[in-house]
Amino acid sequence: MLSGVRKSVRWLLVLTGALLLIGLYLLLTSHRAFALDETGCLQCHGTPGLSKTGPSGQTISLYVSEARVNTAAHRYIDCTSCHTSKPHETAITLNKQTQAEKCGTCHSYQYKLHAQSIHGQQLRQGVTEVASCLDCHSAENNPHAVIRVLEYSAPTYKKNIAGTCAQCHAQEDLMATFGIVEKVYESYMRSFHGKATALGTYKTTELDKATCTNCHGVHDIKSVSDPSSPVAGMENLTKTCVSCHPGAGPEFVSGFLGHKEASPRYVPAAHYTEILFTTLLISVITFGIIVVLLAVRKYIANRWKETL
Amino acid sequence: MTTYSGTIPAELAREEHVTRFDIHQRVQHFFLMVSFTLLVLTGMPLKFAESGISKWWISVLGGVEPTRLIHRGAAWVMIAVCVYHALYLLYGIIVLKKKFTDIFPTKNDFILFFQEMAYFTGLRKERPRFPRYNWREKFDYYAMFWGIPVMALTGLVMMFPVVATRFLPGWVLPVALIAHSDESMLALTWIVVVHVFFNHFVPGVFPFNPSIFTGKLSKERYKVDHPVEYEKLTGQSVQSKEGN
Repeated sequence: MLSGVRKSVRWLLVLTGALLLIGLYLLLTSHRAFALDETGCLQCHGTPGLSKTGPSGQTISLYVSEARVNTAAHRYIDCTSCHTSKPHETAITLNKQTQAEKCGTCHSYQYKLHAQSIHGQQLRQGVTEVASCLDCHSAENNPHAVIRVLEYSAPTYKKNIAGTCAQCHAQEDLMATFGIVEKVYESYMRSFHGKATALGTYKTTELDKATCTNCHGVHDIKSVSDPSSPVAGMENLTKTCVSCHPGAGPEFVSGFLGHKEASPRYVPAAHYTEILFTTLLISVITFGIIVVLLAVRKYIANRWKETL
Repeated sequence: MTTYSGTIPAELAREEHVTRFDIHQRVQHFFLMVSFTLLVLTGMPLKFAESGISKWWISVLGGVEPTRLIHRGAAWVMIAVCVYHALYLLYGIIVLKKKFTDIFPTKNDFILFFQEMAYFTGLRKERPRFPRYNWREKFDYYAMFWGIPVMALTGLVMMFPVVATRFLPGWVLPVALIAHSDESMLALTWIVVVHVFFNHFVPGVFPFNPSIFTGKLSKERYKVDHPVEYEKLTGQSVQSKEGN
């Protein structure tokens, strides 16, 4: 009788332990996502180093990182959606323009906006340095690793946008070839908008500060010299400011330094205030430090004795 | 007539105090200190946004929005202290018929300043004989009549930029940011280097002088730091000790 009770208690313990272990396993692995891969492409293409030799003798990688695909935005879209139903019989050599067109087969609205943007206009003229889909939507410029905009790790998550634009727009030499002389990233990071976005957390309530795309547009970014740009001319600029600062008038807009620095010719009041306050700061603090150093010298000479 | 010389036992000195600050002055200083510290802790990370310590500190505070809330809250506390002080002065002058002449800047302050510099450099043997407030205390006091209006006005412009530019020219916005940022460094450096050094880190009071919090200063320190005032209060003359 007693041994029977002991036995059932033991079984109950074993069962509870097993259930706990299964629960723990499920809990720990629940965050893992898997690509759909209905056609089983990754069985071969998931092998690192898989490659073929191209017509001119070059090595073309055929490897697709499963780890990347598993977390990509398109993990539930089957490979054949982009690579055609007969991928081994269809030769697709993508360049920046045809890659954009490929994305555009589904994302047609974004494709159209981008085609009209300064980036898209240049791309269609054969300028390949400009940003296209993957430059902003994949950290590794990898079509198999496009990250959804609202994921913290996405290059297009609001907190990361300035850094993504800076990949090109902080390159002085590259920008000079397009006639952009302002240090746009540096000046943005000096502004309150830039500092607050960089310092804040990833929560959306922390990110209600302007980043590049809030003023310049997203897929439809225009050159500042294009009259349809949201930052071209006082009228457009005012509308853009008002979208976050309700009631902002022309004076508010005129006080915005933009990406330029104050100088005797541009917002001279700010330039001279800087000189005035720096002079005041240096002279008063120098005076204070001299007085303290003299006192320290005296007290050391007194061997730090109480000078009663 | 007592002639002062030599050291007095510390126990005796602690027992005998002069009341130096009234309750209003102590409360004002306390809230000024607290609001100043909070403003520095929540303002400097924005000024030095690139540094790693700023990023860490902002994350400790819970992000830029909580930081901003604390900064603005502390700013209103500091403004309230100023209003309190103005009312304190008005009530003192009109009702209590006080004259507050001790805090007035005089020609003598300049003489005492040069005497102290001469003392520090060894050109003069005796310490200068200070009245109730020495030149450093007066400097700190009057510096606030420059610093707080600059910080408060530029801060309010940045707190309400749309309202401000409705009746002020647009350039006040960048000007306010520059002035606020530079003046904050001036205030912080002065407080940390000069104010804290002379009030807490000098021999005799190191490491901390509680008189602004308790309102009391020992008679022995009073004789050293404010001999002129001590004589006026007690009728006893205080001789400066030579040497050292």
